[in-house]
Amino acid sequence: MMETGRRGFFKQIFTAGVALAASGMSAVHPRKAEASVQERIRGICLYVPTLGKASDFVEMMNNNAPGSWTAHPLTGSLTEHYFTTRQLYAEAQGNANTFVGVVDPATFAIVHEAIVDSGGSFHYVTYEERDRVTFSARM
Amino acid sequence: MSRFIALPKGVSEQTFAKAIQEYRAILGEDRVLTDPASLQSYMKIMIPETEELHKPSAAIYPRTVKDIQAIVAIANKYKTPLWTVSTGKNMGYGSAAPATRGQIVLDLKTMKKIIHVDEELGYCLVEPGVTYYDLQQYFRKHKMNLWVDVPAPSAMASPVGNTADRGVGYTPYGEHFLVSCGMEVVLANGDVIRTGTGGVQNSTSWQSSKWGYGPYLDGLFTQSNLGIITKLGVWLLKGPPPGGYMPFLMKFPKVEMLADIVKTFMPLRLAQIIPNACVVVNAGWEAAGYFTYDKNGKGTNRSTFYKGKGSLPPKVFQEIMDKFKIGAWNFYAALYGSPEQVALNWKYVSGAFKAKFGNQVQIITEKEAKDDPIFEYRRQLMMGGSTLQEFGLYNWRGGGGSMWFAPVAAARPSECDKQMRIATDILNKHGFDYVSEFIVGWREMHHIIDLLYDRTQPDEMHRAYQCFEELLNVFSKNGYGTYRTNTAFMEKAAKTYGPEMRKIHRTLKIALDPNNILSPGKSGINLDIPL
Repeated sequence: MMETGRRGFFKQIFTAGVALAASGMSAVHPRKAEASVQERIRGICLYVPTLGKASDFVEMMNNNAPGSWTAHPLTGSLTEHYFTTRQLYAEAQGNANTFVGVVDPATFAIVHEAIVDSGGSFHYVTYEERDRVTFSARM
Repeated sequence: MSRFIALPKGVSEQTFAKAIQEYRAILGEDRVLTDPASLQSYMKIMIPETEELHKPSAAIYPRTVKDIQAIVAIANKYKTPLWTVSTGKNMGYGSAAPATRGQIVLDLKTMKKIIHVDEELGYCLVEPGVTYYDLQQYFRKHKMNLWVDVPAPSAMASPVGNTADRGVGYTPYGEHFLVSCGMEVVLANGDVIRTGTGGVQNSTSWQSSKWGYGPYLDGLFTQSNLGIITKLGVWLLKGPPPGGYMPFLMKFPKVEMLADIVKTFMPLRLAQIIPNACVVVNAGWEAAGYFTYDKNGKGTNRSTFYKGKGSLPPKVFQEIMDKFKIGAWNFYAALYGSPEQVALNWKYVSGAFKAKFGNQVQIITEKEAKDDPIFEYRRQLMMGGSTLQEFGLYNWRGGGGSMWFAPVAAARPSECDKQMRIATDILNKHGFDYVSEFIVGWREMHHIIDLLYDRTQPDEMHRAYQCFEELLNVFSKNGYGTYRTNTAFMEKAAKTYGPEMRKIHRTLKIALDPNNILSPGKSGINLDIPL
């Protein structure tokens, strides 16, 4: 189970990410938003295993933004993270409407470029802590 | 409120809107972007300055040389500066963000043609959006036994971008500008020139003969804002036969051994017994690499070992070295050729180090390294493979701040030792760690220091800026130039090369780009700023 503080953190980031993705809004900076979702969430969440378990991520996302969520751990080398993200982002096109992530700084550096190189851009990117970055990419 | 997130200096919103309209007329709506979300990726900087200073006004994506000619015509008409990137992976040097606010990012990643690969002579001609990985895939697909020398972000960086910034790699072709051959460049007035022998009608040697006739121009378009490179020739290595590549690592236990390490390998390097751009890596850099590979699935970084303020004490550094079984210095190099040549050269190399260091050196070859991830990362780099493992550095301290401080040292033992001591003192004084590698060129070292800091902490941002500035000043006073720098310090680095150099750079800029539309601020060349 996740600690309470982290629950609150996920509630904020995923609610904001989902609302923005679903409404087509865009923002350079993170923002709180009401979850006025117009369509059912079909979301992909990337995460690095050091920051939590898949079941925790799925549970939190379903609590805060109900829908169909799939959590993908980024394992292996940073090189693999790059190619895995490119593949997941490409597969998500047309199949998902939300693409978010909770990753460490090194992984973020790679994942960011993978999404950009796949033609993607971002609703927001936030360093929540020194060792944890959250983001929501546009689909 | 403006409908643009930033405007070029001195350009009104109305004028900028007209310019955007004209860009869209030639490129289409989807290749001229001004919305905040699309531009956000260009603001992912790692330097200790606010994103506001580097915010672009737009991003445009040409596909052809003709597109670029049309773009520079509009840029001249409306004075909208263009910050050119190839794939924009200059992480630690400013990423893809413009040097100054309001420039339009001219993103060439959409120009992705591998125009020609010549297996017989080992060269290729590529556009700016082609990555090293694309080339490797091409070789594989066409069953070509060719290697391309790569920088650390090989999987996503481009030969054009890296060569244009005079980047380096790790094979015998590690000096990228040296192994480039022939450029096509669009000038600010829309003219297209081909350097070297490229101007000869139906040239048959554009990628095989570098110099052409008359003054050699290619250097003018590296680390510069005098033209836009649209094609580049790159020399490729022939892969050695089976058994003809031998990467190795030598670990040394004490920081004070650096001078003796240099003294031992430089004769071997100069004799081409060690032919590649080998590296001497310090413990901080080496330890950072292991973060991602904790086999228990647990992150181990700097804070695992030290929670205090300031730089890591020597005692903690020793703990880290013991934990990861790494040296205070870690020398990675490789031998190439026929198996017989490699075996013979290995006798010279291992013999020289054993004679000098006895049991103080630990020698690791592929056999001993087994599946060690950091050895594998170096093995890949020294054979032109794709790896992004270097970016594990960003987890070592966390917070997303990184600046490469990159002074050059003559490859003498005393110079390397002196640089290491000066850098360590300054970094530690500001509360940062010395995290470095020396990349060994022909007769010089690129001393690459990663100043890692937390961008989420204003105090660390401030200290990082002050620290980098002091490094630049003190190194300069000691006669050490920096070979490359980030966008926050381009103006200051340019000053260290003296007023005459600045004057000639400016004279060239006025002659070739009088409206200052090409990447103003690159390498400190900017007609908007008086000398």
